[in-house]
Amino acid sequence: MDLGLRGKRAIVTGSTKGIGRAIVELLAAEGCDIGLCARSEDEVADAVRDLKARGVTVSGGAVNVRDAEAYKAWLDRTVEELGGCDIFVPNVSAGGGMDSEKNWWKCFEVDVLHTVRGCEQLMPQLEKSGHGSIVIIGSTNALETFYAPMAYNAMKAALLTYSKQLSQFIGRKNIRVNTVSPGPIYFEGGAWEMIKSTNQKMHDATLKAMPNGRFGTPEEIARAVAFLASPAASIITGANLVADNGFTKRVQY
Amino acid sequence: MTDPNMTDKPMTDPPAGPPAGLDREALAAASRAPAYRKVRRAEAIPGGTPTEKAPDPSLGGDPIAKERYTSTDFMRLEWERMWTKVWLLGGLESDVTEPGDYICTEIGRESVLLVRQKDGAMRAFYNVCLHRGNRLRAEGASSAASFKCQYHHWEYEIDGSFKRIPDLDTFPQGAPPCRGLVELPCDTWGGFVWFSLDKSVGPLREFLEPMPLHLDPYNFTKMALTRDITVEWECNWKASVDAFNESYHVQGIHPQLLYYLHDLDIQIDCYERHNRYLIPFGVVSPRVRKPPSIPDPIKTIMKGAGMDPADYDEPIENIRRDVQKQKRKVGPSQGKDYSRLNDDQLTDDYHYLIFPNVTLNAHADDLMLFRQRPHPTDPNRMFYDIWTLELVPDGQERPPRPRHQRFAYGDKSIGLVLDQDAQNLPGVQAGMQSKAFEGLWVGSQELRIRHFHKVLDDYVQGPGGA
Repeated sequence: MDLGLRGKRAIVTGSTKGIGRAIVELLAAEGCDIGLCARSEDEVADAVRDLKARGVTVSGGAVNVRDAEAYKAWLDRTVEELGGCDIFVPNVSAGGGMDSEKNWWKCFEVDVLHTVRGCEQLMPQLEKSGHGSIVIIGSTNALETFYAPMAYNAMKAALLTYSKQLSQFIGRKNIRVNTVSPGPIYFEGGAWEMIKSTNQKMHDATLKAMPNGRFGTPEEIARAVAFLASPAASIITGANLVADNGFTKRVQY
Repeated sequence: MTDPNMTDKPMTDPPAGPPAGLDREALAAASRAPAYRKVRRAEAIPGGTPTEKAPDPSLGGDPIAKERYTSTDFMRLEWERMWTKVWLLGGLESDVTEPGDYICTEIGRESVLLVRQKDGAMRAFYNVCLHRGNRLRAEGASSAASFKCQYHHWEYEIDGSFKRIPDLDTFPQGAPPCRGLVELPCDTWGGFVWFSLDKSVGPLREFLEPMPLHLDPYNFTKMALTRDITVEWECNWKASVDAFNESYHVQGIHPQLLYYLHDLDIQIDCYERHNRYLIPFGVVSPRVRKPPSIPDPIKTIMKGAGMDPADYDEPIENIRRDVQKQKRKVGPSQGKDYSRLNDDQLTDDYHYLIFPNVTLNAHADDLMLFRQRPHPTDPNRMFYDIWTLELVPDGQERPPRPRHQRFAYGDKSIGLVLDQDAQNLPGVQAGMQSKAFEGLWVGSQELRIRHFHKVLDDYVQGPGGA
């Protein structure tokens, strides 16, 4: 099946490591031009260099998406360098934590606002595309009780509502909006690698909840994202694709 | 060394040099320690703990003979030539503030009373009634108006002199010709009471040199005991000393600490008897990848300094520096006097071994002290004492003294990290008995182990003895 991604221009935030990195690697392999960002300049430079080797146009920037002005400026610059935008994947997350009320503000600003700001900023480009596609990154933590009532879980839930309603709101512009909700994903340098050392009980209990006895991989999430992002998924909008190895137990009607 | 991989092969004329069948280059390539950038180290401050690196002693690379861990002969020599010649940690001065307050502590086959006198001095006595040898008191800290033997009620003053011998007139030979309980050298330093089983031991300060200079800035007397535990471990006491004298095992049995401390950038300093290493805390080890968020153990350090990890937007590698700055800033308002501590001491573990058996994890806000005591008769067993002390901020009341707990290994948790150590040691002790094991093959990360055993050898076999 040809996904029809060749020549599409994809902007993915937080894309030098983990799930974000796997997404840009796959989209680049499928022939997309790539706009990527992360906070570390060195990491961005490395990722840009590696992706360029795939023969696509790659634009990278070091930006903290919490800084609204800097973030929007980076989006504008990237659109200019890529000559437009067909696909947007707001992937950056503040992650879990229950240290203080600040976790709520941080998750709100990073997970929610960076997604909303990105969608709004790129809306004209996505509309111009003719098959604009937004893939929001959720989490199974929003779908079932997980560990503790963290801001991260609730803010990911907010994104689900936003994603669905945005899909209705802009459907007439031929922009599709979907969410991929990954379950626990293990990768080198990822949260679960650390948790395996710092909280082995939690790691083992989580692993045990996977019917097939393994964590998911960033590459598996990237394939789900690439499909929804592609014209091949033209009929799918407003969906929440749970990509979790069977980690969640609820029935999806 | 025999290569275990060779056991199936015909053993004809083993060649000199490296054994066949082992690719040394491949082994080296697969085993190299990771490269890392050194952490920033603070300068010493005037009147503070010295920070300069002591020159490493040349102690060679020979294996350390294993018999010292397992043999009763060595245990006997160790007792005669070391335990009975050194100064030993007996207890906490905070347990003996009033005249008559005493600590009864045991070492090997001996039991000792450390007693606060009316003039404020401390005196030590063998905890033995001169009548029939009964122990006067059980282990622990308490208070006494006098020491009366429960057998026939021979009674001693708190200064050890005879107070009353019931029916003395029925002893034709009279009272024993001494003045009372047999006295031992006793002194105090650092908020601790020390004693020696050697009546002609030199001054405590001389023995401790240069520990007071290093540790006085922490002002342990302002810390209060918050945990007092003795665990019986199935290993030689030196296996425990060794376990805390190197950071090489962190990657082996404490994987979670790789997200908490730098296990490779360790400054090791060996002095005449004692030694130390300085371990940077609040950093991620170069053995693991940089995590996507602040590790929980480092968050704990930040919270201790009054920092909110959720409000921290800097790279993880800046945390150690920022915690130091923050503690320096808020210390005075929290009633904590850090004026004699350098910046590194506000985060790091200044880890000392006071020979022979006192391990100190010194931190600005607490001290975790381990005292490793030999079993009276069995080289394969020991007593592991944990004393945790916490800084009492100015203006706050000292917390009540915790009850002493005593249990056997495995009966209760002593915290994740120490449980991991404890779990490991019986296997070490058992394995050392094996015919296949000749001695400890220690590396430069374990220099303190080599130094400790050299000091021990100097006692047991005489300086330069073999």
